[in-house]
Amino acid sequence: MVDNTQTGSRFDTNTIEYVDYKDVELLKRFINEQGKILPRRITGTSAKFQRQLTRAVKRARLLALLPFVADNVR
Amino acid sequence: MATQATMYELTFIVNAVLSEDQIKEAIARVKRNIEETGGEILNTYEWGSRRLSYPIRKKRNGYYVNLYFRAGGDFISRIERLMQIDDDILRYLTLKYDAKMMRHYERFKGDIPRQRTAEVKASGSREEEEDDD
Repeated sequence: MVDNTQTGSRFDTNTIEYVDYKDVELLKRFINEQGKILPRRITGTSAKFQRQLTRAVKRARLLALLPFVADNVR
Repeated sequence: MATQATMYELTFIVNAVLSEDQIKEAIARVKRNIEETGGEILNTYEWGSRRLSYPIRKKRNGYYVNLYFRAGGDFISRIERLMQIDDDILRYLTLKYDAKMMRHYERFKGDIPRQRTAEVKASGSREEEEDDD
């Protein structure tokens, strides 16, 4: 689970000025399989980014771009 | 009157179970509503039919439309009210654009969301390829 976020390209989130809820691919990198937003302690993002991210994820959920809960397995 | 009307973004989901004509009609209806209430539509992007992350009103799919318009603040409540009444619209989200969001919009105008990530990823490793002129 942790590997999921730790591995792969850790790109710089500081370059992002506005976190767009439409950018689902980006948001997906910061949520776990259950659809929960990962804490900063795991992803290592800035507080500024995390705040924007939270908002964007919630907007995406409202528009069914992301799940509120995803327990589809088992 | 001199103040420029604010830009808003409106994304909504049309019931995809309807026929193509009905979907087109629903979209046209929304646009008409915006224009009639005094808004000016700048851009419309139809994302098309997508699978919803969770069912809404027992539907698994929805036809997404993302549009941008300018209007005065008092029009929003009226537009939203009309969206609420429309039975063919499953969900909608209106966002007011501030300076930051405007810059973001100018930069990615017309891109479908998937392309945005591609650029973000690329910017981490190599030079960005911007094709804006």
